Amino acid sequence: MVGYYENGRHIESLCSIHPREILIAYGPKKLLVDQYHWHSPNKGIVASYTPKDYDVEDHFGIFRGVDQIESFVQATAASLSMFLICQKNACAPEDLKEKSVPSFISVGNVNFMGALEKGDTYVMLGKITFYKFKQMVCDGRIYQCPPGLDLDDYFKDFNEERLFKYDLSPDFKLISDLYDITGREIEIEYFRAAKKK
Amino acid sequence: MERQEIIDGLIEVLKTVRVIDPEKLVGVTEETDFLADMSVPSSQMIAIVAKVEQKFGIEFEDDDIDDLGLTVKDVVDLILKVKARG
Repeated sequence: MVGYYENGRHIESLCSIHPREILIAYGPKKLLVDQYHWHSPNKGIVASYTPKDYDVEDHFGIFRGVDQIESFVQATAASLSMFLICQKNACAPEDLKEKSVPSFISVGNVNFMGALEKGDTYVMLGKITFYKFKQMVCDGRIYQCPPGLDLDDYFKDFNEERLFKYDLSPDFKLISDLYDITGREIEIEYFRAAKKK
Repeated sequence: MERQEIIDGLIEVLKTVRVIDPEKLVGVTEETDFLADMSVPSSQMIAIVAKVEQKFGIEFEDDDIDDLGLTVKDVVDLILKVKARG
């Protein structure tokens, strides 16, 4: 079966849920993903985010590169691996909260080609390059979207081939490309044991 | 399969891991710790374990890896356990 059940609802794709239903926020307000637009469970994802006031506070209105990386991790490794873990264990994200936590553990090369400001909607295209033993590695890109574009409509016929080629219309502006973004679902018991040492 | 045979196979795997200094693979024993003695980044451990599966023709479960320690002995024990499991 593709996906998982939550309260009797079949979650066949991340596109049918809000990111807060599957992600742990970085803080009370910071989820860093607004919406999923396309999702292929074993291949990758397209998600979007628009930086808010609090994302650019004390940064001269600029959404920082490190926040782009955090946002990309949330949209890709964290979301994609949580979906697959729920699918494998036939459980809902809520059921995992007491057992394990998705953790950002490593980042490879990241190249920034542009900047984002508050209100600039961007999409994250993430491809799974490795997934085993609850560890996921993703590569991908961040593009600033043309203003006013209906992203759900734009990505409704998106497919894996287009994802692999980053096939977007030229009015999407490349902001960054990211490699070896690595996340792992880690048992909470491990953190407890490490804290005791 | 003897334990030393497994260690030799494991070292062959570790030689293919770019981030490991080959000098740290000299004199590896069962007590050698991947993080403390070989400076293997923790994020690389899973990639190494995946290569170990291929090398020894075995398949680990997620739970095997959750419980895996960080010494060569831990990996040798796991390989033997999984081989015995069949």
